Amino acid sequence: MADLLEIDGLRTVFRSPSGDVPAVDGVSLSVARGRTLGIVGESGCGKSMLSLSVMRLVPSPGRVAAGRVVFDGQDLLALPGRAMRAVRGKRIGMIFQEPMTSLNPVFTVGDQITEAMRAHDPSASKAALRARAVAALDRVRIPGPARRFDDYPHQMSGGMRQRVMIAMALSCDPDLLIADEPTTALDVTVQAQILDLLRDLQAQSGMAIILITHDLGVVAEMADEVAVMYAGRVVERASGTAIFDDPQHPYTLGLLGSIPRIEETRSRLLAIEGSVPAPFALPEGCRFHPRCVFSAPACTRVDPPLRGLGADHQAACIRAPVEDLAA
Amino acid sequence: MTGALMEVAGLAKHYPVRRGLLSRITGQVRAVDGLSFELFRGETLALVGESGCGKSTTARLVLRLIEPTAGTVRFEGADITGLRGDAMRKLRRRMQIVFQDPFASLNPRMTVAEILEEPLIVHSIGNGAARRARVAELLGLVGLAPYHAGRYPHEFSGGQRQRIGIARALAVEPALVVCDEPVSALDVSIQAQVVNLLKDLQARLGLSYLFIAHDLAVVKHVADRVAVMYLGRIVEIGPKDDVFANPRHPYTRVLLSAIPRPDPHRKLARSAAGSETPGGDVPSPANVPPGCRFHTRCPFVIDRCRAEDPALHDIEPGHLSACHRAEELPAAAAMETVQAAAPAAARRLALYAERRATQQAAG
Repeated sequence: MADLLEIDGLRTVFRSPSGDVPAVDGVSLSVARGRTLGIVGESGCGKSMLSLSVMRLVPSPGRVAAGRVVFDGQDLLALPGRAMRAVRGKRIGMIFQEPMTSLNPVFTVGDQITEAMRAHDPSASKAALRARAVAALDRVRIPGPARRFDDYPHQMSGGMRQRVMIAMALSCDPDLLIADEPTTALDVTVQAQILDLLRDLQAQSGMAIILITHDLGVVAEMADEVAVMYAGRVVERASGTAIFDDPQHPYTLGLLGSIPRIEETRSRLLAIEGSVPAPFALPEGCRFHPRCVFSAPACTRVDPPLRGLGADHQAACIRAPVEDLAA
Repeated sequence: MTGALMEVAGLAKHYPVRRGLLSRITGQVRAVDGLSFELFRGETLALVGESGCGKSTTARLVLRLIEPTAGTVRFEGADITGLRGDAMRKLRRRMQIVFQDPFASLNPRMTVAEILEEPLIVHSIGNGAARRARVAELLGLVGLAPYHAGRYPHEFSGGQRQRIGIARALAVEPALVVCDEPVSALDVSIQAQVVNLLKDLQARLGLSYLFIAHDLAVVKHVADRVAVMYLGRIVEIGPKDDVFANPRHPYTRVLLSAIPRPDPHRKLARSAAGSETPGGDVPSPANVPPGCRFHTRCPFVIDRCRAEDPALHDIEPGHLSACHRAEELPAAAAMETVQAAAPAAARRLALYAERRATQQAAG
C-alpha cells in the first residue's frame, strides 16, 4: 500500500541579506495510514518548520524552495490555494504545543470548534453543527460536553484546553493528524491521559499521526517509526524499537545519554557539549561533527548522506556503527 | 550532612477570594496548607508535584519573598519568619534562587558582568577590582569564558543563560539555593549539562538545594530526598531510593507510572496490562476536597478517606506518607518492569561515555 504522506527532498529556506538560510534541508519521510511517525529533535532542528511546510503555512520570509509533499496521491505543494484550504483542517488536522495560546479567549470553545466545521461544510445547520461539536467534545472525553460547549477557554484547565484542540483538529475526521509537541506544556498525569486518548482515537479512526516532540519518552510510548532531526536534516530513521535498541547516529546516542532515566542511577548524565548550530552558521561537513565525540578528520569535509544500516534503518554518519571504530 | 540547615513547620499561605461590590471574602485559596519539612546541610531536597500543588509558593515562602499565613521557617537555627530590615537583608545573602525561565529572569539591558556584580553591590561586598575578579571567577565556575562578561543576555543560548542565572545566585556565597524548575525550559541535551553543573557545584561548594520540579526523572537524578506535594500538602517524603522503589502514597505511584519512559518495550507490556492513568484534573486549591485531598482521583479510596484527613506518618525511618492505607498498598514493583538498555545500545552508550571522558580529560 502506498504511504498516505510522502515527503521527498523537502527544503524550506528563509530569505536573509546574506542569502537563503535553510531551516529544513532535504528531508524525505513517509507515514502510512494508521501509523505514527515520531519526529524527534531539540529546538531549532527544524521539526516544527517541517510540519508547517507540509501544511503550507511557512511564515514569511520563509518559503519551500524544493521537494514534494505527496498526500494521498496529490502533491500539496503544487495545489492551488483553494484546493489546499480544503485539505488543511479537513484532511490534515493539526494540534499545537500551547493550548493556552492557540484558542481565542473571546469566543466560546463551541464557537471555535464549529467555525472549522462550517468552513468545510457551509450548508450545515447551526443545530447540526452544535450536535457534531458536542459529539467531538465527547469523543475527547470532556465530561458534560453539552455544558462545556458554551465555556470560554479560561474556564478550562490546560489538559481540557488541549482536549478541545484535539477535538477541533479531529472534527472533520482527518486522515492525518500533525501533533506538534501536544503534551509539552502539560503535567505528567494529564500528558498520560492525552497520549492514551490519541492512541485510542487512532485505533478507532485509522488516521496517521505525525508526532513532533523533543521527549524520547513520548516517542517510545507512541511512535511506530522515528526520525531524528538535527540542524534541518534527518540524521537517523528507524522503527520505534530500533531507535532505542540499536541507536546508530552519535546524536541519537547523545540524546539517549542525556535523559535521566527513572530506573537507573548514574552519577552523571552523558550530556552533549555545545548547542545546536544556527541555520546561518552551519559547520562544514557533517553538521553534528563539532559536538560529536566520534568525529574524525573526514567528518569535517564529508556531509554524510543517510545510508542503510539494517532493515528499515538508516543513519547519516560515516562512523556508524561506532563499535567498529579502532580505539 | 551535619544537621538541619532549614526547618519548616506548619507553613501555610492562604489567599482570600473576594467577590462582589464590597469585596467580601467568599473563600480561601489554600495554595500551601500546613507544610513541615527539614532541609539538611549539603543535601538536595526535591519538591515535586503538578501545577497548582503549591511548590513554587513554598519556594517563595521559605525565601520570605511572600509572607506566610501561618507557620515558621527556621534557618541555621534562628526563626526567620519575623525578620525585618537589616537582619533580613543579611539573611538574603545566605539563600538565593535560580528561576525557571532563563529568558525572563535576566535583565536584557544589563551585561553579564553587571548582572553578576549587582548582588555584590547590593550586599556591599568588595571594591570594584575585587568585584570584577569575582565576576571572572563566577563565570569560570559555571563553565563560561571571561570574555562573556561584556555580552548581553540575548547573545546567549538558553543553557548559557541558565548558567548565568546560577552564577548570579552563587555570587554572594549562599548556603541554600532554591532551584525553581531550573531545567524544565531547556532542551534535553542542555538539561543534562545544567544538571551536571548543579551537582558539581554542590560537591565543590557544599550547597544545599531545595529543588522544585515536576519531572520525576530529573529529580531521581539530582535529589537526596524527595517530597511529593499535592494540593498544598506533602503527601509523601523520604530518601529518594525509598520513595521511588517503594512509593507509599497512591499519588506518588500515579506520578511515577505516568512518566513516559524512553523504553518502547514498556509500552507493549503496559498496553497488555492496562494503564494506571488516573482520570480527571487536580481539584482547585480554592475548593479542597474534604477528608484526604487525593480521594477524588485515588484508585484505592475507601469510606474513611472521604471523611478523615490522613496525617503524615512514618512508614520506615525517614520515609513518611499521608495515606490511611499506606501500609496495605500492594508492592509497586509489579508496574516497574525495569528494562536494561538493549545490548547494542548499552555498548554504544558506554563507548560514548568513554570517548567523552577521554576528551574532557584532554581538555
